[in-house]
Amino acid sequence: MTGVFTLWKHGVKTGLLGGLITVLLSLMGMVQAFSERQIVSGVFSMDQALLAVAVVFVGYLAAKRTTSTTPLWVVINSLTCGFVTAGMIMLLLVIGDLINLRAVFINASPVLYQLLSFGHGFESAPLLFVAYPLCSLFAGILYLLPAALRRMFTASLTCVIGAGILQDLLRPTLAAWGSLAEAAEWIFTANGLTEQGASALFLVISVVTLVWSLKGKAVRTGYKRLPPSGQKTLRWSGIAALLVVLFILPQILGIFLSEVLTIVGLYVLLGLGLNIVVGYAGLLDLGYVAFFAIGAYATAILTSPELGFFSLSFWEALPFAVLLGVVFGVLLGIPVLKMRGDYLAIATLGFGEIIRIMVLSDFLRPWLGGAQGIGKIPKASIAGFEFGMPQEIYYLILAGCFLVIFISLRLKDSRLGRAWKAMREDEDVAQAMGINLVATKLLAFGTGAAFSALSGAIFATKLTSVYPHSMNVMISINILCVIIVGGMGSIPGVIVGAAALVGLPELLREFAEYRLLVYGLALVVMMLVRPEGLWPEAVRRREFHEEEVDENNGATAKASS
Amino acid sequence: MAIPILTAKRTTKRFGGLVAVDELDVEIKEKSIHSIIGPNGAGKTTFFNCVTGFYRPEEGEIQLNSHSLIGLLPDEIVRLGIARTYQNIRLFPSLTAMENVLVGLHCHLRANYFGIVADLPSTRKEEKEATEEAKRLLRFVNLTGKGDLMAKNLPYGEQRRLEIARALATKPRLLLLDEPTAGMNPSETQTMMDFIRHLRNEVGITILLIEHQMRVVMGISEIVTVLDYGKKIAEGPPEEIKRNPIVIEAYLGKGSAAETQGVAA
Repeated sequence: MTGVFTLWKHGVKTGLLGGLITVLLSLMGMVQAFSERQIVSGVFSMDQALLAVAVVFVGYLAAKRTTSTTPLWVVINSLTCGFVTAGMIMLLLVIGDLINLRAVFINASPVLYQLLSFGHGFESAPLLFVAYPLCSLFAGILYLLPAALRRMFTASLTCVIGAGILQDLLRPTLAAWGSLAEAAEWIFTANGLTEQGASALFLVISVVTLVWSLKGKAVRTGYKRLPPSGQKTLRWSGIAALLVVLFILPQILGIFLSEVLTIVGLYVLLGLGLNIVVGYAGLLDLGYVAFFAIGAYATAILTSPELGFFSLSFWEALPFAVLLGVVFGVLLGIPVLKMRGDYLAIATLGFGEIIRIMVLSDFLRPWLGGAQGIGKIPKASIAGFEFGMPQEIYYLILAGCFLVIFISLRLKDSRLGRAWKAMREDEDVAQAMGINLVATKLLAFGTGAAFSALSGAIFATKLTSVYPHSMNVMISINILCVIIVGGMGSIPGVIVGAAALVGLPELLREFAEYRLLVYGLALVVMMLVRPEGLWPEAVRRREFHEEEVDENNGATAKASS
Repeated sequence: MAIPILTAKRTTKRFGGLVAVDELDVEIKEKSIHSIIGPNGAGKTTFFNCVTGFYRPEEGEIQLNSHSLIGLLPDEIVRLGIARTYQNIRLFPSLTAMENVLVGLHCHLRANYFGIVADLPSTRKEEKEATEEAKRLLRFVNLTGKGDLMAKNLPYGEQRRLEIARALATKPRLLLLDEPTAGMNPSETQTMMDFIRHLRNEVGITILLIEHQMRVVMGISEIVTVLDYGKKIAEGPPEEIKRNPIVIEAYLGKGSAAETQGVAA
């Protein structure tokens, strides 16, 4: 009897976990907030997708944790998980019917109960015990399928849900291309995918992933077999294609999405700067927003006629703003030279706050504008072309990103980059290897501050005004999240991280309220599943996937012998 | 009489009430292999830390070729030509073997910030030469082809050798080895002994080592200094040290000297 229970208990356990997750999502209001948006029009809405993904996740967990290898037990466990989860939701409905939960949980509204019970209260609630076990059963079967098929299902379902969620991005983009407009009409309705669009998308992605899992290895070895010159041409043509796409992007995307891109771009600039300080040099700086503020305020003071000190153009002010950033980077670096780890983090956190409180203060109001900030900052312009609209500012930010990426790439594998990385690994030994810690640390702080100040200057001319409240500590934390999720010390990682953590929440207004929750969740999940980040440095990728390394080693050893 | 490369005069290092190194006088002769031995806590590693600038001795003087080292920072001392390895290997774990050696070359490279960003021809040339030199050093310590592996993923013996390669990259005249054969099996130990001898004979580097394995100490060193409670209790060629009753007493306790001699006789 006990034997059966040990086999069974993971299904119950994960079911309870699933129940906790779904009830929590409901009571937080996420379910209701997501219900407006349809994934597949009239069939499948985003709140259902949210709950289904949660149930599939725990169902998969139940299957994975099953101690027995018999497929039957895997299926039983995942089914149990679904039943238990459904039971927890049912419990919520019953309790909600008996007592007024709303006194504590303001989101526990009748609308929520309707959503959870498929629209007809207790009449349709038994459906829970069909739908949830079906989802978890699907997860169990997914676990039992061969890897290629599993990948196929996950990829195509993720794409369908993703296409549904990003409809506001995809539909106008497709519609803008004359000939594709009809296709857009066929795939999308005003709210969500059409049924035929969703099935077509599912099929296409399935076929593509299947073909890739069969032929992908051949393509990769084919690429590796190419002579180095051939590989180089291929890589450069890839980069050239990417550049062309980046260049015409704002024309395709329109004003709202270009605005999102500019925000992502500013975070890429900030992220690459912090990547040098934290990712390379290992100096945990939590007051990084200070240099962003300095860049923005320096630009404002030098250009705004509102204060009337100077009336420089943006381009005249930019070098001063960046230079001031470097000076402050070094000045704030000097007192913390001897600090390490946690102490450094706390001290820099303080610096960030000091700068914010200073720009907010009444005492400095005549110079820094106080709480009202500084307005009337002129737009940047080159030879009569003004960077006014988001589509135009995009190019300014793109140029900034290119410059910063270029500098980061050059520094990365240089004498200085190695000194930073050595310092990150072991400060004492780095010094014993002849690295001057003072100079090396200050160069890291200075470079990071310069990138941040550049971002601040562009931010100021983008908004044409600066306010103290946009310089709060959350920005520092957001940037840190971006580089952790993207991959510490990795340049493409920063870009991917910024797109995922800054771009996506901007696109999905439903997420806005849950932004911090999603950040926290993303960090926890990343630490558990992919601690090296979304797009890690090549060396770190090897570190976390040692079995692949061993395989490669074996191959090279064979090749060399 | 060979010239001393390193001279310590009445060097004293205290930690609060504990005197870790007590008025130590040592002379290391140019191109010698000199061992420092002593029971645990005798102050051997503390003395190493004083020489390399991690600790500043309270009293006394340490000179490299009559150039005082007192008050210099570790990065300044390594430039003068003293490199070291650590008792518990301290590589840069997440850097590749190649990068570890390149960091060792750091103080012989000139590249500055603007040269790096502008990718000046001189910087590029220097970087290429450094890579060649690093490859040569990896080959020298028998780590050819391991350059792209992360240091922490190397087996123990290879990590020890990589640490020596990194120390050699700083082009030292005096190399301090802190228990280079710790945790090695007899055949690995023999290889390491041959390697140390090779370093001195072929490359001409003076070696100062701390060692616990008597076989190594007696096998390769020309002079042995024995420390106990921070004080020098004996110094001389290995054969003399082996028979010195004070040394035996320090290691095995009072009365042991007589017993051992009795057994030996």
